[in-house]
Amino acid sequence: MIIEWAEFLHYLTIGLTVGINSIGVGIGEGLASAAAIEAINIQPESKNDIAKISILGTALIETAAILGVTISIIMLLDTSTPAHPFYSRLGELGIAFAICLSGFTAGLFSYLPARAACFATARQPFFGPKILRLMLITQSIIQTPIIFGFIIAIFIKNQAVQAETLSDSLRLLSAGICIGLGSIGPAIGLSRFAESACEGLGVNRKAYEKIFPFTLISQAIIETPLIFSLVVSMLLLVWKVDSCNPIAGIAFISAALCMGFGTIGPGISSGKTASSACKQIAINPDTYSTLSRVSMFSQGLIDTCAIYTLLISLLILLFH
Amino acid sequence: MNNFDLLATHYWYPLYPHLAHSHFRLNSETIINTWIMLGIGFLLLLPVRRLLRKKDGIARYLAISFVSSFVDLTKQTLGTLHRRHFYFITALFCFIFLCNLASIIPWVEEPTSDLNTTLALGIISFMYIQYYAIKKNGVKEYLKSYLSPFFIMLPLNIIGKLASIGSMSFRLFGNIFGGSIISKIWTKVISGSVLWESVGILSGMNLLITGFFGLFEGFLQAFVFAMLTVTYLSIAIQDEGEDEEVYEGATL
Repeated sequence: MIIEWAEFLHYLTIGLTVGINSIGVGIGEGLASAAAIEAINIQPESKNDIAKISILGTALIETAAILGVTISIIMLLDTSTPAHPFYSRLGELGIAFAICLSGFTAGLFSYLPARAACFATARQPFFGPKILRLMLITQSIIQTPIIFGFIIAIFIKNQAVQAETLSDSLRLLSAGICIGLGSIGPAIGLSRFAESACEGLGVNRKAYEKIFPFTLISQAIIETPLIFSLVVSMLLLVWKVDSCNPIAGIAFISAALCMGFGTIGPGISSGKTASSACKQIAINPDTYSTLSRVSMFSQGLIDTCAIYTLLISLLILLFH
Repeated sequence: MNNFDLLATHYWYPLYPHLAHSHFRLNSETIINTWIMLGIGFLLLLPVRRLLRKKDGIARYLAISFVSSFVDLTKQTLGTLHRRHFYFITALFCFIFLCNLASIIPWVEEPTSDLNTTLALGIISFMYIQYYAIKKNGVKEYLKSYLSPFFIMLPLNIIGKLASIGSMSFRLFGNIFGGSIISKIWTKVISGSVLWESVGILSGMNLLITGFFGLFEGFLQAFVFAMLTVTYLSIAIQDEGEDEEVYEGATL
């Protein structure tokens, strides 16, 4: 009976990894392409630039789906027999969390900068190359959660074969949950900020000199909660399990949930703060220094919530 | 799905009797495939000189439009045309595109479906960008850029810079690896029966899979890689206020 459950978990992981991912990516790509067609309708002269933006944007959104396919094919073709099937497969379930939560969110929401870039090019036809550049940078930063999830998934895959106790498999599962939940908030925040940065270029192309550095700094700050959850996942992956302690597995899961849920609020709201600042900078570039200082200060305050959850999850790990 | 050994690779231990550790092994298939693709690229380039002398030839048109599109890309992104950066970006694009095309040749696999190749490419472009950033701003300014906007951001800045290597190389690897696995599975499915093979050829499915994953996806990923490199380079070496002049005339 336990073998059947192990097989069920194995194929469930493969299916979830590629299935849930593809829903988000499919919707995102469709919306991005629809926006490109609408933008060409508005400004037919700049159809080459808009088509370029749409193709590159969808190619970048596609990364989420392709990484999901890659990891599920690796799992499907792997013929090694684990020492303890059920615990190994339970640990592998972490891969599904790591890939599908981050891939779904980032795939679904990264259509926002592509759409904004299409309409911005329709408004500023001669400014297309710079809008494309900003969109490429912002979108490739939105991909960071998926890349982190993929790296964690590969580590989980390599360690799952050796999992022999329940706490060991729960450790791997919680590493996946931590990076998966932790990427939802930052991915949404990054996408919303990137959208308003691209929109800002459409409103006022003179603001490019101010918006571009602001984008790089703000995206680094919005990403902070994601990096915290990466740190906790990495710690979970290298943690030595005390096999006599039955509580260890529960402690790992709760540390992962603590860190994961702690990043959702800070990620979204720090993205919203930066996006409002970016809209104002676009309208009035002279206020750049004041606005950027206020925005960074409030983002720092928002990120303290993520620091609190990081602290608590580290304490759970240390003193369970 | 058992007995379906798609992920197996052959290893080569150059220092075999003394150092047979896994740290000292080479992925021989990747190296051989890379050299095969480089040889094919060299053979393709040989007749170009002779074709370029001929006026109104299609090869001349293709070569010139390819080079001029990259000149435009470099000029638009970097503000001015730096020859060195132009050579680097074009060489990077050509190498990755050639490697991605390998699947259309029988018995050759894409070298870029090996993570080692893409990581090497990512590290090369990262090092190139850092070298020019230091050359442009000096060591002091370069190190100071890690402390901006506050000194607390130091670890985040370092992780952010290193994450760009990961994101570029994993994107290329994932796309090409996924495509190559899908085309291998398709070949496995249709092989073994004359009926299925003829269905594959006549329905155009073979052509579609090779065309999409080999040509289209390969071109797109190579272009994304080159474009991201040139954009990161432009951030590292940007001049303030210089860019605006290029577009001032165009808007009027």
